[in-house]
Amino acid sequence: MTLGGEWVTGLTSLVIGCIAGLVMHRSDFCMAGMMRDLFLFRRYTMLRVLALLVLANMILTEAFRQYGWIPLFPYPAFGPPSLSNLLGGALFGFGMVLAGGCVAGTLYKMGSGNVISMFAFAGLLAGSALYAEFHGVWKAFSDATVFAPGKITLAQLMEISQGTAVSAAIFILGIPVLYWWKSGAFVRRSYAAGYLQPWKASLIIALLVAISVIIIGIPLGITTSYAKFGSWFLNLVLPEHVRELAYFSAMPFRYANQLLGISYAGGPGPGYDDIALIQYPLIFGLVAGGLISSASLGEFRIYLKVPLPQLVSGLLGGVLMGLAARMAPSCNIWHLLGGLPILVMQSMLFGIGLLPGAWLGGKFLSGIVLKNN
Amino acid sequence: MGNMDIKEIDMRGQICPSTFITALREINLNKNEIKSEALKLVFITDNRDSTVTIPETAENMGYGTTVTKEEHHYRIEIFSARQ
Repeated sequence: MTLGGEWVTGLTSLVIGCIAGLVMHRSDFCMAGMMRDLFLFRRYTMLRVLALLVLANMILTEAFRQYGWIPLFPYPAFGPPSLSNLLGGALFGFGMVLAGGCVAGTLYKMGSGNVISMFAFAGLLAGSALYAEFHGVWKAFSDATVFAPGKITLAQLMEISQGTAVSAAIFILGIPVLYWWKSGAFVRRSYAAGYLQPWKASLIIALLVAISVIIIGIPLGITTSYAKFGSWFLNLVLPEHVRELAYFSAMPFRYANQLLGISYAGGPGPGYDDIALIQYPLIFGLVAGGLISSASLGEFRIYLKVPLPQLVSGLLGGVLMGLAARMAPSCNIWHLLGGLPILVMQSMLFGIGLLPGAWLGGKFLSGIVLKNN
Repeated sequence: MGNMDIKEIDMRGQICPSTFITALREINLNKNEIKSEALKLVFITDNRDSTVTIPETAENMGYGTTVTKEEHHYRIEIFSARQ
């Protein structure tokens, strides 16, 4: 690998992370809230914004693919659909509502000083590392429940061209999005300083995902690094145990980046590899973006007087989200912003699974965690 | 107006929907006092999203609202719409 390619990869991730963190903080772009509020309060505005993001990403990535700017398609690290995607998505949905933010929301909120998100982050590392203990059993289950071997996208399953499948999806999704646009259903009235309308944020994030795909070759991903962080901490206290776990010695992430003329290889183990090269700057950037945004508004503050049930909820939600992100595999950012716009079946199942998980999470949160608030 | 009580609830640092759920509960518990202009509710929050959700819902329920930024947080007031 040349030094130039590494630098471009790391800097691209860092810049994308910073912009995404800043934009998400300014627009309250909380994907956990989008799902939770759908069931808890019957509020749909932010879910409509998510639909706009997916639509924008569909159009952008399909246009870039047609131009030949996306040589690796479907993106590396996606596989055929399995029951594990659905179950992982459901557990992830439950966890993210309990944690008060998804894997990206936790980061930008942590950057703005939110203590519950710091607990959720600790939980994410623990949950990701915990998965290694039963990876073998879960992998066998996942492999056994694959129902379209060798097929990754809906287009491959239906044996039609990607262009035809995406055009149909753009048409189907475009009708309600156009209606919402014309009726002003994307606009939120906020009194928050420096507020960025979420629909604008969704277009910026769609562009960031497309840039990541073009330059690095994959959409935004975070959670393998949580497993790396977790295994690194575990390695400090139980190095023998980490060496014994097959999951931490695997290097499943491998592909060649034609644009930069380099090859990536990495895995969830504690060592520094190309997962770290791509994801660490993105994670740092998301935290930094939240910090820069909140500090520039004079809103950065760490409030320590948080009710204990909420701290426990944050930690538990983080553990479940970390576990689910390994079981699914991967997270909402990877699937909803990366896989869904190109109609990856794993991502569609993950998205379907999120809904009952978020519904149950909302019930648990309002009925137990916040009952005596 | 002169004898109006003010109930202030500090919810800074709390998990995302906590502010909204608590606000909704307090509004419903004190609806008669608020409508008769005997009480004003004040919520202190650092949750930016609450500046969207709480005023929107309270106004839909027929109450008056104001939102003010104070140093590191926001102050949301709920009162009778007749005020």
